[in-house]
Amino acid sequence: MENTSKKLKAKDFITVGIFAAILFAVEFAFGMLGYIHPYIVASYVIILPLASGIPMMLFYTKVEKFGMITILSILLAIIMFIGGMGYLGAPLIIGAGVIADLIAKSGQYKSFKKIVISFGIFNLWICANYFPILVTAESYRQDLIDGGYSAEYANNLFAAINVKTIGVLVVLCFIFGCIGAVIGKAVVKKHFEKAGIV
Amino acid sequence: MSIVELENVNFQYKGSKDGSLNNINLNIEKGQTVLLCGASGSGKTSIIRLINGLIPHYYSGELEGDIRVAGHDVKKTELHELAGTVGTVFQNPRSQFFSVDTDGEIAFGPENIGLEPKEIKARLNDVVAEMDLDELLGRSIFDLSGGQKQRIACASVAALLPDIILLDEPSSNLDFDSIELLRGTILEWKRQGKTIIISEHRLWYLKDAVDRVIYMENGVMAKEWTGEEFKGLNEEEVKSYKLRPIVLEEELIRDIRGESTSSFCDVENNIELNDFFFSYKRRPYLLFKKKFKESDGDLLNLNIPSLKIPKGKVIGLVGPNGTGKSTFLRCLCGLEGDCKGAIVSDGKIYKARQRLKICYLVMQDVNHQLFTDSVKSEVMLSMKDEDEKRCDEILESLGLLDYKDTHPMALSGGQKQRVAIASAIASGAEILLFDEPTSGLDYSHMEKVGELLNELASTGASVIVSTHDPELISECCDYVLGIKHGKAVYLKENKKL
Amino acid sequence: MKLDPRTKLFMVFVVSLIVMMSAITPFLWAIRLSITLIPIILMILEKKYSSALKFLLAYASALVLMFYFLSEQSEGLIASLLIGYCGIVVQFMPALITAWYVVRTTKIGEFMSCMQKMHVPDGIAVSLAVVMRFFPTIKEEYSSINDAMRMRGVMLGGGNVLRMFEFRMIPLLFSCVNIGEELSAAAITRGLGGEVKRSSVIELKLGIADFFLMAFLTAATVIFVVFKYFL
Repeated sequence: MENTSKKLKAKDFITVGIFAAILFAVEFAFGMLGYIHPYIVASYVIILPLASGIPMMLFYTKVEKFGMITILSILLAIIMFIGGMGYLGAPLIIGAGVIADLIAKSGQYKSFKKIVISFGIFNLWICANYFPILVTAESYRQDLIDGGYSAEYANNLFAAINVKTIGVLVVLCFIFGCIGAVIGKAVVKKHFEKAGIV
Repeated sequence: MSIVELENVNFQYKGSKDGSLNNINLNIEKGQTVLLCGASGSGKTSIIRLINGLIPHYYSGELEGDIRVAGHDVKKTELHELAGTVGTVFQNPRSQFFSVDTDGEIAFGPENIGLEPKEIKARLNDVVAEMDLDELLGRSIFDLSGGQKQRIACASVAALLPDIILLDEPSSNLDFDSIELLRGTILEWKRQGKTIIISEHRLWYLKDAVDRVIYMENGVMAKEWTGEEFKGLNEEEVKSYKLRPIVLEEELIRDIRGESTSSFCDVENNIELNDFFFSYKRRPYLLFKKKFKESDGDLLNLNIPSLKIPKGKVIGLVGPNGTGKSTFLRCLCGLEGDCKGAIVSDGKIYKARQRLKICYLVMQDVNHQLFTDSVKSEVMLSMKDEDEKRCDEILESLGLLDYKDTHPMALSGGQKQRVAIASAIASGAEILLFDEPTSGLDYSHMEKVGELLNELASTGASVIVSTHDPELISECCDYVLGIKHGKAVYLKENKKL
Repeated sequence: MKLDPRTKLFMVFVVSLIVMMSAITPFLWAIRLSITLIPIILMILEKKYSSALKFLLAYASALVLMFYFLSEQSEGLIASLLIGYCGIVVQFMPALITAWYVVRTTKIGEFMSCMQKMHVPDGIAVSLAVVMRFFPTIKEEYSSINDAMRMRGVMLGGGNVLRMFEFRMIPLLFSCVNIGEELSAAAITRGLGGEVKRSSVIELKLGIADFFLMAFLTAATVIFVVFKYFL
């Protein structure tokens, strides 16, 4: 759609809604793996950016105006909250969304380099879900054990995610976000551009 | 007084020649009912989109000329401003809904333009009474049949009280009885003095409703008839324009509605189907599924204890929507795992998963069954041992060799269908099933599908094709199998043209 | 029983909140269990007996496993898998089942009306409504794609994990993008996105059941927090 105005239109909101639903379906499919072993929880920073790279790169081709990525992150925050992923992370998810939106905007939503970085930042929402583990480490550990988890699970979880590793996780998340963007873009080219859809 | 005026309009979509328009001059008087016909890609849909403003506001491209609709200059009018003036019923009932419930869908338009709740309720009641929708209220869209969805779509458009109503191939996914209802709706709108413009391939149901018929060819208005002239066209003329028939034979109509009085004819060279029972309702048990048998009667959505169908022939599968055609196809090819039926062919018995190996279903929406990034790899994917030469042969026979490296999704609807057929052939399936392969096609594409089905049968494959197109049956089916309430009701030989 | 969508949203909020805070005493467990029972009772009232029973069994078995067979000392692979299963069921199922109940029983019109009452911008309300509407669509499309994969025998992508993912993802995205295009076109031609304020045919009214449920949920939350953190 040719669009001179900067205001988001009905079509844009519908597009955001559709991709939020798709994104959630992908997260949900992979997210459930996390309970098998705590190390998988930590490896979300690798799995999720790679898996969501394809739909997200397709989404980026449809973004032309500021706000779409932000709204997507708001929807994601709401969905994650409902899914029981915690309320502490929600502002962080939206924060990552706004920054990702601004970065992509600085490249007019066309510059691929900016999109890669933007998607890298966007993926920090995954780390936002670790937030409660960090800030309330000791009580959270006790919570888990009292709540029926074994000490082994809790120990492993804290071995994987703690104040020392969070830096690594954030960096990994960003890097794999960028890799996910590159792979996603390649798939979008292979399929959607070749088919003339975008 | 003209309510729609197109003056010297030229249009071409961005990056595509299909559906472009050349020097269109069209005036439509208030209260007229106009039919746009012609092949796919001839520009029918583009004209509809010019009038509702989707061109240029939603689908972009190069546009010249003036478009005025009920006093609005469409080029300068925002889409939502046209909402109370022009209403559009789209082709695909699956995707045109915003709500999940029927009431909400009808109220959706009036809510968007900010009407008072009282007014909206009044309109809802009016529309429901006019279109006889009581039984559809309060239901989920996802539980409705295609025909019921289309009626709700019509109601949601009517609730905005537009003067102009556009219908873009509205009958594509409907069965005979639903089309009759659609015709009733159109006649009611006509009686109310609305201006109606319909783009359509199926013509028989409109012959008494239309005042003008415009024949489109390669983006120009090639021919125009009055309603009377159109009704008077003979079979030869209709065929020469590559249009679908205007008049249907009574016998074919009975066939298509599953109401033929024939019984089962004998077939010597046959495939036997045994114990095909299936139900979507599993209510009797909470945690595990019930095993069905013939005596479950009404509970069953499919109830075929035994049936012999001809081998190596094209069999038309007919009957109204929702009485078991698709269920029959799905069970036959083994997609419904709970159906324990067996296929006996050449003395071999195929049960459960084995059925998946000898059957191949070409789905109504072929988009779901194309996975790879080129036509060639799509066909290779189906082969047990990849054989490039065989792949080329198959593609050659289907006229797809030139598209070997093209992405399947970049092809036209008919071509995609042929890619799906190519992979069916490559998989070595003996029984090929088609779920309404011609529902949205124009006459010449339908003819091609018919020829193709006959060719497949001549190579020894048994072809079963579910359809609502009487034209397709008279063109290509050797037999007609009627299904009603999940039971096979007749199998009769059909005289092909 | 007809609940106001605001009550339902509040219920989602409370359930999500409480499952995030683990119960440490039997009293807190009692609160948590009674909160979990609410969506189950509501499901039974909606005549979703089978889903309610399945959920109840899964939840009960997870609880029993957790308390009688797994402990702080559990180690090893099987225990860890079981913990995984129990973790999902006990921690996430209540919230998901509540969300599922809300999505299933709230009409899009009610939801939009509720968003307006809460002064949520139309844009975000539209996006959220589309998310709600799109779940069943994704389910429908995905099951068609799954059927096609089974028919072609490519469920496992020829043993290639990436292809397994690609074969599911690509057709799904193609379908969703197409449906989205047509959905937008149909919505816009019916006036979505105009400057006038959207109205709503559904007038929301809080009934006795709403007040009762909200009071109960609020009380449960307050007691839970007080007993957990302050006593």
